[in-house]
Amino acid sequence: MKYAFFPGCVSRGGAPELYPAVIKVCDRLGIELEEMYGASCTGSGILQEKNEFLGDVLNARTFAMAERLGLTIMNICSTCQGVMSQANKRLKDNPDRLREVNDILNEEGLEYKGTAEIKHLLWVMVEDIGIEELKKKFVRLLPDLKLAPFYGCYIVRPSWALEFESHPGREDSLEALIEAVGATVVDFAGKTRCCGFPILTINEKNSLSMVAKHTSDVQNLGADAMVTPCPLCHLNLDSFQPKAATQAGIKIHMPILHLPQLIGLALGFTPKEMGLGRHIVSPKTVEKKIADITATRV
Amino acid sequence: MQVTLNIKRFNPESEQPFPYEEEFNVEVEEHFTVLDSLIKVREEIDESLTLRCSCRASICGSCSMRVQGHAKLACKTKIIEVMDSEKRIKIEPMTNQPVVKDLVVDMKLFWDKIRDVRPWLQPEGPEPENEYIASNEAMIHLTGVMGCIMCGACVSDCTVLEVDNNFLGPAALAKAYRFVGDPRDGASKDRLKELSKYSGIWDCTRCYECVEVCPKGVAPMERIMVLRDKAIVAGFDGNYGARHTEAFSSLVEHSGWLDELRMIPKTFGMFNPLSLGPLMGMIPVGLRAFRRGKMPPIFHKSIPGVKNVRRIFKKLEARK
Amino acid sequence: MAVYEHDVLVVGAGLAGMRATIAAISSGANAAMITKVHPVRSHSNAAQGGINAALTSRGDTWDDHALATVKGSDYLGDQDAIEVMCSEAGDTLIELEHMGVIFNRDDDGRLGTRRFGGQSVARTFFVADITGQALLHVLYEQIIKSEARIYEEWFVTSLVMIDGQCRGVVALELMTGQIHLIKAKAVILATGGCGRVYEPSTNGLIVTGDGIAMAYRAGATLMDMEMIQYHPTTLKGNGVLMTEAARGEGAYLLNSEGDRFMEKYAPNMMELASRDVVSRAEQTEINEGRGVDGCVLLDLRHLGREVIETKLSYINEVALDFVNVNLAEQPVPIRPGCHYIMGGIKTDVDGVTSIPGLYAAGECANVSVHGGNRLGANSLLDTIVFGRRSGLAATAYAKEIGESRVPESVIDVDVQYIKTLMSRESSNDSWAKIRREMGDSMNEHVAVFRNEEGMQAGLKNIIKLKERFSRLEVKDHSEVFNTSLLFTLELGYMLDLAESICVSALSRKESRGAHFRIDMPERDDKNWLKHTTVHISPDGPKIDYLPVVITQWEPQVRSY
Repeated sequence: MKYAFFPGCVSRGGAPELYPAVIKVCDRLGIELEEMYGASCTGSGILQEKNEFLGDVLNARTFAMAERLGLTIMNICSTCQGVMSQANKRLKDNPDRLREVNDILNEEGLEYKGTAEIKHLLWVMVEDIGIEELKKKFVRLLPDLKLAPFYGCYIVRPSWALEFESHPGREDSLEALIEAVGATVVDFAGKTRCCGFPILTINEKNSLSMVAKHTSDVQNLGADAMVTPCPLCHLNLDSFQPKAATQAGIKIHMPILHLPQLIGLALGFTPKEMGLGRHIVSPKTVEKKIADITATRV
Repeated sequence: MQVTLNIKRFNPESEQPFPYEEEFNVEVEEHFTVLDSLIKVREEIDESLTLRCSCRASICGSCSMRVQGHAKLACKTKIIEVMDSEKRIKIEPMTNQPVVKDLVVDMKLFWDKIRDVRPWLQPEGPEPENEYIASNEAMIHLTGVMGCIMCGACVSDCTVLEVDNNFLGPAALAKAYRFVGDPRDGASKDRLKELSKYSGIWDCTRCYECVEVCPKGVAPMERIMVLRDKAIVAGFDGNYGARHTEAFSSLVEHSGWLDELRMIPKTFGMFNPLSLGPLMGMIPVGLRAFRRGKMPPIFHKSIPGVKNVRRIFKKLEARK
Repeated sequence: MAVYEHDVLVVGAGLAGMRATIAAISSGANAAMITKVHPVRSHSNAAQGGINAALTSRGDTWDDHALATVKGSDYLGDQDAIEVMCSEAGDTLIELEHMGVIFNRDDDGRLGTRRFGGQSVARTFFVADITGQALLHVLYEQIIKSEARIYEEWFVTSLVMIDGQCRGVVALELMTGQIHLIKAKAVILATGGCGRVYEPSTNGLIVTGDGIAMAYRAGATLMDMEMIQYHPTTLKGNGVLMTEAARGEGAYLLNSEGDRFMEKYAPNMMELASRDVVSRAEQTEINEGRGVDGCVLLDLRHLGREVIETKLSYINEVALDFVNVNLAEQPVPIRPGCHYIMGGIKTDVDGVTSIPGLYAAGECANVSVHGGNRLGANSLLDTIVFGRRSGLAATAYAKEIGESRVPESVIDVDVQYIKTLMSRESSNDSWAKIRREMGDSMNEHVAVFRNEEGMQAGLKNIIKLKERFSRLEVKDHSEVFNTSLLFTLELGYMLDLAESICVSALSRKESRGAHFRIDMPERDDKNWLKHTTVHISPDGPKIDYLPVVITQWEPQVRSY
């Protein structure tokens, strides 16, 4: 299986442990990646706020490039997924808009025909590979781990863009994967809520309150770590966790794992190979539990 | 068919006034809504089950409550669409507002915030003898936001209100948009000025909860986005929210993807004494990131073909 | 127990109530509203189609509107009152637009119109199909602006009568269960209709006729209580309203044979004949076996998706939500359902009732502008015109009238009654059972087609139910937000009104407007061109009569 790989901005910027982990995991899963070097940022919702049409043009450009490659786009960020899905739906539903967009893309020799498909690695694993096939590739299950899912807003809302009706497995895909690696799901109401990242520089207090709330909630439920498919959520929940804890006046130590890192661990990669050492909140407790598992296996 | 309603109840007059769960097994028809089932419980099983409801036709906004964890209008929610595989439905009162009894919440917070946006038409100049002239195009986009029935679902599920009840909130902001967008209202500039302050339009995290739960398609978050744009155009662009948007836009225009490192100072403004605080606050975070090798690269390379991106930006900004 | 005092107290915060309050405040009164639900939950928001007005600036004349209303009322409407309403409609409409209502516009940017039942000219102004909601919310905005005091979620249990004058209300504060006294020099009842006396009904669950019943109990004159409007197009199942505007935009009514059957009953106006005519037509088709599952069909397919999605978006949503029908693709099953009461508390054109100090406006009042049948889009107009007038009149009265001693002991009767309700012997009976039986009985015996035998049976049922009610206990004894108590008190009001409706219906020995008797199918102007009135007495409702005011239009044969 081959995909046009759209890594997004943060996996090469503020969360650089993610990118190499994805490459390694995809390689082992037999997912071939053709990286879309010329594709621009999706706009992240911020650009769309200023000028929605501009955002659609930039994304249509990416879609047109993928169409040329004849491949489905694979991304690794909830925000990228949501923004691109919304743009795609708008363009597919409105031929006039698509025409206007193509007028601009034509100047570059590009045209978007409306056939692009965009899937997060999360959906690729659950839908295109399938849980049963995945399990066959896992060499190390993680039964002692209690993991809380944290989706990231844009991969669960708004439902009009994300095709849940035709793909019902998407809504609990993260829990399905956590169970597939043998871990226990720590369910909590905040799993589909906001991490606060978009208002980090605007209302830091609220942003950090959100971080403190989610991380302490799952801490109280006994989770060992949170797993998220969104590097922006990871940035906020991990890098800003110490500050959030100070603000809230409570002790929080909740390691945050990128989804590919979790899958990588189950596939047999070491924590070091998955870049766990780069996190701000040390996942040493998780690493120790995994080491114990490996130890007993050997 | 038989369904099980798991209802979060609360009796303020009981000896131990804490919320508790009570289950009701009730026989329902296929076409029943959640409200139909609750009324059946109230009329045939337990008279004391307390909830607000009236029109049964999604126009009065009384019966907002959480069904399977998300705010919905009970009269518009079909049992068969929300029940789980064991025909169970979890029903709770709305959140972000104090519970009075069972499924009834005190909506004072909600109404106070509506008041805060001065929600009445403030026309400028003398009134015409007949109606104001306004094109259907100018007015038709307001029927969407006029459709708001003040049910409170958006406020219940708003992720910002969960941590900060100073935020004006999606309903009040959508209501504010109804006036800013009305060509007959003469107070837009004042309104936008107020809305650009703390706890206003820039506090929204764009999480889409309000858009998702609104039973009337009001899409409050999208109205907030329009308000943001109008605020910038009206000249209220000095706050961090506006600066953040501008910074993001210019950085993506420049290199095709986000330069996170430069994002921070661009948002706060390097030479603004007021920004010293926030900038200094970022230093410990930056240091930690640096130690773990998580700093975004200082040399930020543009994407190949970035000139196309710049061209697109220039063309569309000019068009606007 | 607390005591409050105002010049003018408005009971009910729907369109009429809020308009009255705004008028009172702007004339300098210390005015307040008391309402059992938040103002925007009032049932005014369910009005869909539009508001009638003859705009002279467009060459329309209010005479024509008045004549249509008189004819629509089957000549039972008081023509002086109708003249007042129609002549003030134009100014009323413009005032609403200036307040901020977002009416539909035509291509010139002026207010757009649509056709409505019983009228040959399009003079119904509208906001998609949510006109009531739009008006209600704008009036609420004006109320916020006026900073009026609102006793929100307070339920009036009785009117305070001192020396034959109304001097305030006794009310239950739902949040705490406490009973309070609110003194007022003038009280305006704007509590709406009593549709929940019937089952099914388009009305929300809160429409229980509280004001009409409390006025009745205080000795006020009620008028034309037999005139109950069955709306022709209520949705199969839950009876939710499907606006007349659908027919105004051109929808057809079809029977099981696919025929536009209105051709037989109203060859000129067809689907836009007056509501009683259409309801009877539908019921006849259903009774004679040409119905589909107890309903007929409303067909909007030929209107096209765009019209449906812009001008009829709400009923589109309703049809999809409740009966899974896409209006652009299928006809929707509908049938006549109880919708409105033309009858109510007798008032003059300023809301003055037969009790000094007591005013009434809106659906609970009967001026009478609707007579035996109300035209669509006249109700919204009625509420605003007479809401305003009664607000002004009550304020003027309050300025003139002197103080009166109101002892706090006036609350004792209600306090005691509630205690009694809570302490009665426990039984298997419930307010829900009694209400259901009342609704079913009224819908069977005093509905679209009536006869002596049926109405007598209906009255007997109501009397039996009242007897059961006198033994009913309230099972929930809590103080905070006790809805069981609330529903029981409302049921008491409804049973009194059901009785008045039955007695009034039996007394009118002809057919007129919405009151159609199979045993007396002709209209009898010679003997029955008069209003029926009803007063409370120890022997039950007592019937009397009042003449109809005729100014310009002598009664004609009414055909569409």
